[in-house]
Amino acid sequence: MKINSSEIKWHLIFIILVLLLIYPLLFSLSTSFKTMSEAFQSSSLIPGDPTFSAYERVFTTINFVQILSNTFIIATIVTVFKLVTSVFAAYAFVFFHFRGKTALYFLLISTIFIPFTVTMIPNYITLSKVGFVDSIYGVALPQLADATGIFLLRQYMKGIPMSLMEVAELERASHLTRLRTIVVPLIRPAILSIGIIFFINSWNEYVWPAIMIKSEVNYTLSLALQMFVSSEGGTDVPVAMAVATLTMLLPLGLYAVCQKFIIGTFAQSGIKG
Amino acid sequence: MYSIEFKNVVKRFGKTEVIKGLNLSIRKGERLILLGSSGCGKSTILRMISGLETITSGELYLNGTLANDMDPGDRGIGMVFQNYALFPHMTVEKNIAYGLRIHRIPEDEIARRVAKAVAILNLDGLESRLPRELSGGQRQRVALARALVKQADFFLLDEPLSNLDAQLRGRARKELVRIHEMYGQTMIYVTHDQIEAMTVGQRIAVINDGRIQMLDTPHEVYRRPANLFVAKFIGSPSMNIFDGRTAAGAMRLNDTEVPLTPGWAEKTGASGAERLLTGVRPEDITLTAEPEAGSVPVEIQYHEDYGSRVGYYFTVNGEEVIAIMRDDVLHGAGHAYWKPDPKTLHFFDAKTESNVGYPAEAAE
Repeated sequence: MKINSSEIKWHLIFIILVLLLIYPLLFSLSTSFKTMSEAFQSSSLIPGDPTFSAYERVFTTINFVQILSNTFIIATIVTVFKLVTSVFAAYAFVFFHFRGKTALYFLLISTIFIPFTVTMIPNYITLSKVGFVDSIYGVALPQLADATGIFLLRQYMKGIPMSLMEVAELERASHLTRLRTIVVPLIRPAILSIGIIFFINSWNEYVWPAIMIKSEVNYTLSLALQMFVSSEGGTDVPVAMAVATLTMLLPLGLYAVCQKFIIGTFAQSGIKG
Repeated sequence: MYSIEFKNVVKRFGKTEVIKGLNLSIRKGERLILLGSSGCGKSTILRMISGLETITSGELYLNGTLANDMDPGDRGIGMVFQNYALFPHMTVEKNIAYGLRIHRIPEDEIARRVAKAVAILNLDGLESRLPRELSGGQRQRVALARALVKQADFFLLDEPLSNLDAQLRGRARKELVRIHEMYGQTMIYVTHDQIEAMTVGQRIAVINDGRIQMLDTPHEVYRRPANLFVAKFIGSPSMNIFDGRTAAGAMRLNDTEVPLTPGWAEKTGASGAERLLTGVRPEDITLTAEPEAGSVPVEIQYHEDYGSRVGYYFTVNGEEVIAIMRDDVLHGAGHAYWKPDPKTLHFFDAKTESNVGYPAEAAE
């Protein structure tokens, strides 16, 4: 293969970018296998004397399983509900005809541009009034619907030929039947990849759980991470990096398995991933 | 009682009137073709029958029942779409049985009906394939099978053969007629292809600009076109039309006065038209190398050899005329003679564009 000079230039830029992105990951992975003193003395990416002691301390100092399951429950609830609401809403926006549809759609899409920090406080106040503070369900509750998901799924559903839906209409198939037998099977890859994105986003969430959750028993992984690097928790860097590595594992694994779907979804919706 | 009846049906999309006062009665079990060029409204008529398109005003009766507001699913429609509309994620069997499963027909009955359709349409062995693993012709037959197993009263086809190559189309035409004779449903077939219309149809409705121009058998539509549009639309190459300069029982072709037969003289005289256009089909013109009594000298400007036929181009009263003959009797360009046969002539009122009719001597 011949590579010309301008291609070399671009490849160099990309290699540098990849290294910049991957360095923190490698740093946390390698530090998690170091002893505390080595972590502070050596910046080498290869641990001199690899040890699992940081991982042992993770399981002895915090209730890792509880925290993992909290994170998992929140991410699962958020993902399932967001997907269900997105699928139904997108279906309505594509296949129903009603007055004010376009206006309603643009109103909905405009909510994507409202920064999280704007809704954070009102959401907290509302949830505290109904007694959802310091609860993992309180973390999940305001996130059960999502305009981005509706937008992406709508783009996909618009690609379904109208004649397929008309075949079903001539058979008197209800909208639910059309959704189940035609729409969902046809856009399954999109649903799957959007689901993974929802899941990973929820998994990595920090600010909102930090506001809502007070007691350690309700902590999520990103909150647990902060226990080891904050002023209150001390500076056990290897343990913090062990938690970080464990936190990364699931999203990275999911992405590795499903990256084809995810990239395809964004390419088809006209948004570059 | 008609199977399908349109009474003064109008369809508007926004401000555009697509169907302008349609009156059409379709007999039970007949094969009716809706023929016209794209945008003429033929697909809209089909979609109004199916209920996929609403009716702006007027009445539509299906089997004698007012159907304007009837749900598409309640109309008893089996439809074949131009793009076939096969579900890409379902096997051939699942595609064919889709409607039957929705209607919760017992599985053994589904199996029986699917097997019958598969056998009739030569789809044996393809039942577990996905549409993308089929050829164009096979996809088209799956779409037909899906519309047939429903055993609906009305069988609607929207340009079903337009995505097939020419050879396959010829075979599919015969197959469609055979299938219709087997199932006997009322069949409405939309096409822009006049060969399909002529070969498949028992009656043809020629449509232009949202109106039916003529509704008759293929033979009549070809031989006795109701107006100029039908005359020019049917036939390939289309009918030659030129100013006949008809007056006092004669027409003037180039510089030659050709007397009309008494019947034609009377018909053209009685039409009351200020100006008449003369029509003659290319295959109805016989040219000779030598003059005969009453023949018109013409100058052949160009000729084309189609293999089985030869086309000669010449000018009559300023209009280009093409004659199609079996053999190259003239051996290329040059002088030739045309003696118009009264049986092959058509006359149209230049203003209203309608046919003035035919005298007894033009009878076949």
